[in-house]
Amino acid sequence: MTPMTSSELSPAPAAAPATGAIASARALTKVYGSGSTEVHALRGIDVDLGRGELTAIMGPSGSGKSTLMHCLAGLDRPTSGTVVVDGQEVSAMSERRLTKLRRDRVGFIFQAFNLVPTLTAAENITLPLDIARRPVDRGLFDEVVDAVGLRDRLTHKPAELSGGQQQRVACARALVSRPAVVFADEPTGNLDSHASAEVLGFLRRSVDTLGQSVVMVTHDPRAASYAHRVLFLADGLFVAELTDPTAASVLDMLAGLEGLAARSRS
Amino acid sequence: MRRIAWRAVRAHLGQFAMSIVAVALGVAFVTGTFSLREMLSSTFDEIVGASTTADAYVRVPDDGSNVVSGERSAAPGLPLSLAGTLEQVPGVQAVIPSLSGPITLVGASGTAVRSTQAPSFALAYDRRDPSVAGLTGRAPVGRDEIAVERHTLDSSGLHVGDRTKVVLLGDVHDVTVVGAVDFGAPMAGATIVLLDPSVEEAAFAPAGTTSSFQVYADRSAGLTEQQLVDRLAPVASGAHAQALTGAAMRTETSSQISKQLGFVSTFLLVFALLALFVGAFIIANTFTMSVRQRMREFALLRAVGASPRQVFGSILTQSALVGVVGSAIGVLGGLGLVELIGVVLQRMDMTLSTRVPLSTSTVLIGLLVGTGVSVAAASLPARRAAVVPPVEAMRDEVTVNERSLRLRAWAGLVLVVAGAAAVVVAAVRPHLGSAGTLLGVGAGFVLIGTLVVGPVVVPAVVRLLAAPAVAWLRPVGRLARGNVVRNPRRAANTAGALTIGMALVGAAAVIAASTQASVGSLVSTEVSADYVLRTGMSDTVAPALLQKVRALPSVQQAEGFPWTHVLAAVGRAPTGADGQALVAVEPTMVGSLLRPSSTEGSVTQALTGGELVADKLLAKDKGWKIGDTVAVTGPLGEKSLRIGAIARSGAVGQALWASPSVVDTLVPSAQQPDTTVLVKAAAGADLNALRTQLTDLSRPYYVVSVMDSKQFVDGLAAQVNQMLAILYALLGLSVAIAVLGIVNTLALSVIERTREIGLLRAVGLGRLQLSGVITVESVLTAVCGTVIGLAVGIGLAASLPRLYADQGLSQLSVPGSSLAGMLVLAVLVGVVAAVWPAVRAARLPVLDAVAQE
Repeated sequence: MTPMTSSELSPAPAAAPATGAIASARALTKVYGSGSTEVHALRGIDVDLGRGELTAIMGPSGSGKSTLMHCLAGLDRPTSGTVVVDGQEVSAMSERRLTKLRRDRVGFIFQAFNLVPTLTAAENITLPLDIARRPVDRGLFDEVVDAVGLRDRLTHKPAELSGGQQQRVACARALVSRPAVVFADEPTGNLDSHASAEVLGFLRRSVDTLGQSVVMVTHDPRAASYAHRVLFLADGLFVAELTDPTAASVLDMLAGLEGLAARSRS
Repeated sequence: MRRIAWRAVRAHLGQFAMSIVAVALGVAFVTGTFSLREMLSSTFDEIVGASTTADAYVRVPDDGSNVVSGERSAAPGLPLSLAGTLEQVPGVQAVIPSLSGPITLVGASGTAVRSTQAPSFALAYDRRDPSVAGLTGRAPVGRDEIAVERHTLDSSGLHVGDRTKVVLLGDVHDVTVVGAVDFGAPMAGATIVLLDPSVEEAAFAPAGTTSSFQVYADRSAGLTEQQLVDRLAPVASGAHAQALTGAAMRTETSSQISKQLGFVSTFLLVFALLALFVGAFIIANTFTMSVRQRMREFALLRAVGASPRQVFGSILTQSALVGVVGSAIGVLGGLGLVELIGVVLQRMDMTLSTRVPLSTSTVLIGLLVGTGVSVAAASLPARRAAVVPPVEAMRDEVTVNERSLRLRAWAGLVLVVAGAAAVVVAAVRPHLGSAGTLLGVGAGFVLIGTLVVGPVVVPAVVRLLAAPAVAWLRPVGRLARGNVVRNPRRAANTAGALTIGMALVGAAAVIAASTQASVGSLVSTEVSADYVLRTGMSDTVAPALLQKVRALPSVQQAEGFPWTHVLAAVGRAPTGADGQALVAVEPTMVGSLLRPSSTEGSVTQALTGGELVADKLLAKDKGWKIGDTVAVTGPLGEKSLRIGAIARSGAVGQALWASPSVVDTLVPSAQQPDTTVLVKAAAGADLNALRTQLTDLSRPYYVVSVMDSKQFVDGLAAQVNQMLAILYALLGLSVAIAVLGIVNTLALSVIERTREIGLLRAVGLGRLQLSGVITVESVLTAVCGTVIGLAVGIGLAASLPRLYADQGLSQLSVPGSSLAGMLVLAVLVGVVAAVWPAVRAARLPVLDAVAQE
């Protein structure tokens, strides 16, 4: 990786306001395999993700954006470096505490297969609370359900819901347990543009009105444009950052990065 | 394609291991069954060969006597003097009367020598009989000497030269063991004592008659068996006897034995089929599993140009490989199983044939069945893999469209309803001639129908059973319920193995409990005795003992039921096929010790008047009425007796009754064994003191035990329990198979649900909770199978008392505790079966499960 020279890129990305960080990583590396098959997915990441913000992480395939999210969310263990989520050091946690962290402090939205097919929409939404054997906050439940517009779909099984509806159920599930942070991995990857807009609009509103912190991995500039801040990853390092992005500015940035990469290869 | 198939087997060896185990298990049961049957029949063939050594036999024509069970002939028999006449026939070396009868040998420990099921009998030691040629020591002479068969001697702990006692016709004799005889074959645990021929004749041919003679040819004459028979025939027919060759006799005896063993092997085969059914299901599951996991691999093959036929073929090739390997292991396992049974039986003093029961046909059947079932079971998933369009298979979600269950539901329902209707008809109209058949067919329909309708019924039952788990184990119960219910066919098939086993056991338990309850109520209503003296089936309470008991001042009355065999027919001379049990009933005991449950005419009057009393069922069966004259033939002569009354008593059974004085004119008293004597105490007698007196009197007779009426009932019940023990052993096998089936299904669904499990773990489900889900799933399946099976079994068995009330099955009793035990067992089965799949699921890395690539 060549050093950043392009003027529009900030030289030290992601050194965000440390006071408001909901999740942060320091010197984070992740290496898969060993010897000749060694792959460096993350090469020393320092990042602070703001509390009460919608942060998007972008980057080309193989840039390490999913790995970064998995490490931040306690789904994967980093090779070195530290991860702190909501004041707790995730990288040092036992499997049992990781499970508890995922259950109580983190919400998840995946690209697909977000719901348990044998449970109804309502049961899927309250699943994390059921697992934790915590009571359901009815007020919040109603608020969330109404926000995602699923009131009349609560007794349906996932197979009876459209893709967009399924993702909205997943969003509701991620929010109803009041997690410190929601991680969304390509949440609109399988949706058409209309359904995407619904889901993304809802995520943004949850940040704006509920004060929820959301981290989203995406490769869709339009999805990234809903974020407060966009971080660009390439070959396991942060390379750029945009605040209050638009789809156009994100596209420009991506084009710049492509050009950069092309230049660095030549 | 073949190379790819072979590589796949090698690469996925672990996965195929379970299929191989499944095939091996099923095949082991099948080969084990066949081999055991062969081993049993070869054992008996050897016995027949060793004990049926004569060149020809002369016997009462078609006397229906049974060599195997040792029943003595009812026919008047042939005079022993016929032996001398037959010896005059040129070419005959020796003629020996075939005599045998029950005897009890007292072993070194001072107790009777007994093995579990085999008979105990005495033979005459005749030095001219080549079957007893292997003699060590010397031949017994007179009342005080015996020889003993070698295996019997070993298990008795006695040695040649020892003094001991034998109980012969109830009387105890002090004897010396002077010889040991080797028959050259294991005698399947029979206790065999050899006596001086004169002693044997006095004991077992008191009327001077026998049912058959063994004829040995003069070797120097060089006659064939047939030539010998041709020469014997005129003499034999002159004496109303029949001559037949030794070979014919051996064939006849062997076929009698195989007929008796037929029941056992049918029973075993049913279980082997059950094993195969579950085995096939496990194999199909395993292939479904591996096909699912390798769907993309197949899609790739298809994409690069492999035809559906080739994909189909490669999977079938794998299944054939698995089948052959599994079957080979199974054949060996089956033989091992039989060896094991042989060893166990030997421990129980039942020495079986040592010949290795390995026949080509058994091995071939095992291999063919195992391989065939494997290929058939794999063909469905193989077809699915072959026809799925490559593009669809490349996608993540492989949706399998479940076919509609409507047809199956209706077919199953029709079967169950038809079966139930047949059972109900049989129960409502028990006197219909075909009631028994109706019941059997109906029961079969209900059982099969239950399996067919399973995919509809099982989810409903599971939902019901899961209610407590859903309420108390949040969210484990709900998740587990959903997992069981989501694939109704698979859930039903998995539960099916337990359903069948439990249906059998449930029915058996109800029948056993009902029999015990019925026997109990029968004894308490029909028999009024303070104590019962009782011996084993082939023994007798000695008349001398009975005299001593009667002489006790505190005994008011003591009577037994001496029984014997006669030939009896109405309106014609009885033939050998008219064998009939005749019981001597003292007229004075009717109404006091014995109260028949239903009577027509006066029993006491009939007996005192020298008339017969016919059992109600017997009379119905034969069409006999009061006033009919029955021609009765016994060893001592013939009589025409009028039926004076018809009565029913479970204690006497399906027999003719007559007073002892009448019976004595037909049959010598030595041929009237009496296994049960009822004792009534005098008014005001000390019952405990009486018991001590009775015990003291009985002790020297070794075979007689003293019971109060409760112990008597319990003793009868214990016989039923023994039958039940065998059933439970077989249930053990079906449980073992069911566990494998559940393990297999769970393992399959864990693999299928990898992503879902990952999701659950990602949103915070702990490992223990995940294991809990799988355990609850497993327990639900097991309990569901058990509940359905028990319900069907109990329902079917409940119709029996109505149908067989006449035969003494008058009470319906559902044994709650043992059924509860079955449910507990089912829970345990579920927990055990869940261990491995649960561990496997808990170890799934969360990330593998949720990551896209």
